[in-house]
Amino acid sequence: MEITRRTALGLALGAGLAWAGPASAQGFPDRPVTLVVPFAAGGSTDLVARLIAASMSKDLGQQVIVENVAGAGGNLGADQVARAEADGYTILMGTVATHALNPLMLKTKPYDPEKDFSPISLLVVVPNVLVVNPQLPVNTVQELIDLLKANPDQYAYASSGNGTPLHLSGELFKSMAGVEMQHVPYKGAGPALNDVIANQVPIMFDNLPSSSGHIKSGTLKGLGVTTAKRAASFPDMPTVAETVPGYETYTWNALFAPAATPPDVVARLNKAALAALADPTVVQRMGDFSAEIVGSSPEKLAEHVKSETAKWAPIVKEAGVSLD
Amino acid sequence: MDLLDNLALGFSTASTIWNLGFCLIGVLLGTLIGVLPGIGATATIAMLLPLTFQIGDPVSSLIMLAGIYYGAQYGGSTTAILINMPGESSSAVTAIDGYQMARKGRAGAALAIAAIGSFFAGTVSTFLVAIFAPPLTAIALEFGAAEYFSLMIVGLVSAIALAHGSVVKALAMVVLGLLLGLVGTDVISGSPRFTLGIREYADGLNFVAVAVGVFGVAEILRNLENERTREVLMAKVSGLLPTREDFRAMAAPIVRGTAIGSILGILPGGGAILAAFASYTVEKRVSKNPEEFGKGAVAGVAGPESANNAGAQTSFIPMLTLGIPANPVMALMIGAMIIQGIVPGPNVASEQPALFWGIIASMWIGNLMLIVLNLPLIGLWVKLLTVPYYVLFPIIMAFCSIGVYSVNSNVFDLYAVALFGLLGYILTKLRCEPAPLLLGFVLGPLLEENLRRAMILSRGDPTTFITRPLSAALLAIAVAVLVVVLLPSVRKKRDEVFVEEEA
Repeated sequence: MEITRRTALGLALGAGLAWAGPASAQGFPDRPVTLVVPFAAGGSTDLVARLIAASMSKDLGQQVIVENVAGAGGNLGADQVARAEADGYTILMGTVATHALNPLMLKTKPYDPEKDFSPISLLVVVPNVLVVNPQLPVNTVQELIDLLKANPDQYAYASSGNGTPLHLSGELFKSMAGVEMQHVPYKGAGPALNDVIANQVPIMFDNLPSSSGHIKSGTLKGLGVTTAKRAASFPDMPTVAETVPGYETYTWNALFAPAATPPDVVARLNKAALAALADPTVVQRMGDFSAEIVGSSPEKLAEHVKSETAKWAPIVKEAGVSLD
Repeated sequence: MDLLDNLALGFSTASTIWNLGFCLIGVLLGTLIGVLPGIGATATIAMLLPLTFQIGDPVSSLIMLAGIYYGAQYGGSTTAILINMPGESSSAVTAIDGYQMARKGRAGAALAIAAIGSFFAGTVSTFLVAIFAPPLTAIALEFGAAEYFSLMIVGLVSAIALAHGSVVKALAMVVLGLLLGLVGTDVISGSPRFTLGIREYADGLNFVAVAVGVFGVAEILRNLENERTREVLMAKVSGLLPTREDFRAMAAPIVRGTAIGSILGILPGGGAILAAFASYTVEKRVSKNPEEFGKGAVAGVAGPESANNAGAQTSFIPMLTLGIPANPVMALMIGAMIIQGIVPGPNVASEQPALFWGIIASMWIGNLMLIVLNLPLIGLWVKLLTVPYYVLFPIIMAFCSIGVYSVNSNVFDLYAVALFGLLGYILTKLRCEPAPLLLGFVLGPLLEENLRRAMILSRGDPTTFITRPLSAALLAIAVAVLVVVLLPSVRKKRDEVFVEEEA
């Protein structure tokens, strides 16, 4: 803390005479920036991070290095950034899990998603999708609801684990559509998806990117996307909300710095993030990936975190999920 | 014929100078990280993932990443044999007899056997992937929670056969392993268990940390205790190549190991490591001299090594045909595909035939490169043993620490290495085997997870395990293994007294 303040002061003094504006961002960044991804390499958050990092490096003129600090559903990595020095050289790829769901489910909270971070920018929104095995005799969300209502609690749905966004998407669906189905958690979305393809479990909410290949080839039936609007990559697929009004869940990725990071450093990172989101390669890859580019100001992200927390709190409570 | 056209396309894709180069880089890197204890393929591929951006061509990047993966399987056996330090989880089994061969001065032969077995297995399983990928995928999809549970039972029952001393001690080790496997977040309820309130253990103990601890660090401690015997061992390194007798002894185990590995490798989860253990069990059972196992049996190296390499190749099947990762390495490969704009899924083979068949062809080319690379290197590796131990062991420890840390950047994994090193040393003193412990550790969580998932799906009806035909068949096999294991031990009751005394 002491050192940061002194460094900032020194930079401010050095630059202050020549520049009237924000000073401490002048030298920033003069060394590589570490982008902590709180999940294992290869997952969707990791891929978004790597695409963005490569492009941000160009804008910042310094390498943005992706470091995977996986564990405890994203809490380890988020906690590490919350406690890192607030100089902008350690930033986090936050998600709906690290900044809305996990803090709601943990009794002992390792960090506060609002107070311990300086938001930088919301990056992308990744829709989820309701998929079923082709052998399940339903073709629309309404038919699924009818089937579940006719056979209460006779069907199960798979998820990537207890308390994950995909699990809560299922719980939200159950409560909003007024249906019952058994929850079957897995260690990650991969094995869960495998069992849905094999018809061991007939229903699942999945991230659209990992299911899209299966929906296109017919190994899975996509009933609806979970965003308010239809996904650009699947214009013919209805939204779940068209049948269950108001239903909306999605996974989002956003950049956060530790709290007390100088505002001008945050602004510099925000500028780099927005530049990355406008990079044609990133735009195209995100499109292939079914991720919708958002981009926002730090203030908008702060509001977003608040509204997501408010949205999920009752669902988490109703589902009775707690992680310790 | 379609297949020939496809293979021709594959080979022409894989044998461009550019792709051959990436294949070579991949297998070289793989061998290197496999040899370095603790540094695994997962961490390396994760680190190289950004590089695949720069390569630009998806075929080349995937060929390289695949090379790293199976190259590491080759390399992992090197340290397992030379210093009893399994570099990869599946080479934990190779360490049992391989290290004993090395102690008898036959390190060169053991390494050659491992390389030859791996090459044979790699060749056969690559063709299996090419010809039978779709039907094999269908088999893998037949495996639900109940079937996995029954398969794990077969695995655990077989674990008893892994021990070459007392059955009671082996059982105790399996149970200890099962308990250690429970550490971490309970998948079904989401609550942390036995983590001592340490959040870093929320995802369980790291396998590499446990394996490096109980095998490697424990062995170092044991060696340091008696520096002189170690030097005696060094002196009698003889004969780099396997003898005619060795060739005769390894032929059948290699074929059996390849078959076991090819089948189990397809199954996601513990498939590949189970393959090595299963092969060891089978070899010990069919051997005319089961008492040699644990004391440097050729079959104990040849079988499991073939099985783990075959498993490594066939674990590509679910990834290539369904886009579903069988293990963390495959998850990274899928990530690499997505980075390149390829959507993984059942359509990859039809939409990207050059990629699909190119990777398959490169696997065989890579295996060929590996054996050409590795056979001449054996002499060099064996020379490593002549490095004075006081120089060697700090280096080993340093690499172990870097390797274990690189997996999750988690300091607590290093504490686990230290703790398990100590535990391993105590177990050695008590003459308990670390291999059954590791098997229990790997299978325990899978066993529990699938048992509970099967019970949720059957709505609490335990007959699901015998009414599902595949599951019932597997349980029958488990019972059969149990009978076979128990019968001779009853018969040999008198002999056991000797075993205990000798031990």
